[in-house]
Amino acid sequence: MIEIKKLTKSFKDGENETQVLKGIDFRAETGEFIAIMGRSGAGKSTFLYQMSLLDEPTTGEIIINDKDTFKMSIEEKTLFRLKELGYVFQDYALLPEMTALENVALPLLMQNISEKKAYEESTKALVRVGLEKRLNSLPSKLSGGEQQRVSIARAIAHHPKILFADEPTANLDNESSRVVMEFFKELHKGGQTIIMVTHEHEYSKFAEQIVHLDDGKIIKIEKN
Amino acid sequence: MFSRLNIRIGFFLAKRQIKRSNPWTTILIVFVMFFTFLNLVVVSGILVGLIQGAVDAVRTHYTSDVIVSNLNDKSYIENSPEVIQIIKSLPEVQAVSARYLDGGTVEANYKTRTDLTEKPNTAAATITGIDPIAENNVTDLSKFIVEGEYLKPGDYDQVLLGAYLDKKYMAIDSPGFSTLHDVSPGTKIRMNVNGVEREVTIKGIIKAKVDELSMRVYMVDSQLRSIIGRSDLNVSEISIKLKPGSDPNLVRDILKQNGIDKVAKVQTFADAEPKFIKDMIDTFALLGNMLSSIGLVVASITIFIVIFINAITRRKFIGILKGIGISEQAIEVSYILQSFFYAFCGSVVGVFVLYAILQPAIAAHPIDFPFSDGILVAPIGGTMLRIGLLMITTIIAGFIPARLVVRKNTLDSILGRK
Repeated sequence: MIEIKKLTKSFKDGENETQVLKGIDFRAETGEFIAIMGRSGAGKSTFLYQMSLLDEPTTGEIIINDKDTFKMSIEEKTLFRLKELGYVFQDYALLPEMTALENVALPLLMQNISEKKAYEESTKALVRVGLEKRLNSLPSKLSGGEQQRVSIARAIAHHPKILFADEPTANLDNESSRVVMEFFKELHKGGQTIIMVTHEHEYSKFAEQIVHLDDGKIIKIEKN
Repeated sequence: MFSRLNIRIGFFLAKRQIKRSNPWTTILIVFVMFFTFLNLVVVSGILVGLIQGAVDAVRTHYTSDVIVSNLNDKSYIENSPEVIQIIKSLPEVQAVSARYLDGGTVEANYKTRTDLTEKPNTAAATITGIDPIAENNVTDLSKFIVEGEYLKPGDYDQVLLGAYLDKKYMAIDSPGFSTLHDVSPGTKIRMNVNGVEREVTIKGIIKAKVDELSMRVYMVDSQLRSIIGRSDLNVSEISIKLKPGSDPNLVRDILKQNGIDKVAKVQTFADAEPKFIKDMIDTFALLGNMLSSIGLVVASITIFIVIFINAITRRKFIGILKGIGISEQAIEVSYILQSFFYAFCGSVVGVFVLYAILQPAIAAHPIDFPFSDGILVAPIGGTMLRIGLLMITTIIAGFIPARLVVRKNTLDSILGRK
């Protein structure tokens, strides 16, 4: 469960201060699939970054699974992200010097899991996204769709409580986008909490709830 | 901070970054570290070797391992035959050369001097009487003949002239120092020792980087003995060459225990080194260390730049690593290990080149410095210490830029924001 209270985020540029998020209150229950939508500059990605602890909000509270993240140190947040959260980025964010298998195994190794076990779990995750034949391929040898699937495998290999996805289909063709979204749907069916930012209405339909943002505020919550 | 887990993950990251980086970049960095290593070890090694070469030459070609010489208040060693007998009886002794020494002058061009008011062409020299064979066995003197021939035991009225007494080799014209001109093997010169004048022929010219050899005039010992009236066979210097592996200090102590120190100075080659030589070795070692320190600074700056550029260009990936939960310390360890890898490879290549190529090559073909044949002095202990310094410097130089980049905001790094 995620509970957000009076969340604000401002950016300073010299003397000027721009408030991107203007006091958001939000709640997501375990197992929900939520899509965040809005026009460009509405603050949807910024909202996701605050929720996923990748950034520091200016004010407000973020409580994830009853843990007040405001009280966490940087190290505690890093550990929390490692164990509880999973990320799928728009540009895949794979490490270029590592194979698909190594990219997926890295967060598991950081959890002090043995190398053998980490590679076993990573292989399972990659098989699950249909990349059993590309385990030892470097990202540069994979297509965009394959890279995004590796990114998803990395995000789910350690069974995170919440999966965050920032425009996961933005750089993909229709076929690859559909595959990714079908996979999200399958994950959700298995009970995975997913919070996804998208600007594509077609893919927001996969979510059970659509949160509409505009000018740093939630203007509407729609149920599918 | 550097927990086992962080080191494990740091190693995992570093290994893959090195493995999949551009091999030419890696080779270039290792090459820079290799030259840094050489700068650290070889520069000071050559500087020390410059003096060490001179010291070794004095040992090999003059004092030998142990030297027995007259006391300061005597011009000879009393009971020399008995002393020599004691020396020769020691099992450590391989060869002995006894020398008669006396001050004298040599004069050239006296036959062609028409104006007697002109200053005669003379030079002061130490006249040295030697057994040519024994001397050669101990000091290898014949090797330094640059003109003419070496003495034979029966060569009467023939001398070897030190090159510093020949203007051709010592073109210095300073007050109080004169040389003979227009002399060469076959030239007759007049020798005056203790008022006894003798016309002798130059048989050969001796030129060595050991001043004591090049400043002397050598003749067969029996002839000099008769000139200076040393019928008691008392010599002024005895150079003792020991069998390989023998300890000069032990032999010196044995000779002292036999009472030889009462009639002569008994010194090892090291004892006989003038203090200024020891000071020069220390001075050059200090200079070498100063130059090495500069090399160390250059190495640290090089690694700093390499790691900083590497970390800055990989800032996005560092952000991703932090984003997916990899600890900052693990990322820093990965950069420290990369720095360590470069320094280690550079040092390994350096050690190989140093001990397998440079040191043997320079030992076989010493560097021809004006006053010594320079060798490369690189004791293992000193080299290891320098490698250790290089590693520590490199690790620090790798850690600082990594820390600077890793501590930046995670999201700013991922998005490439300033």
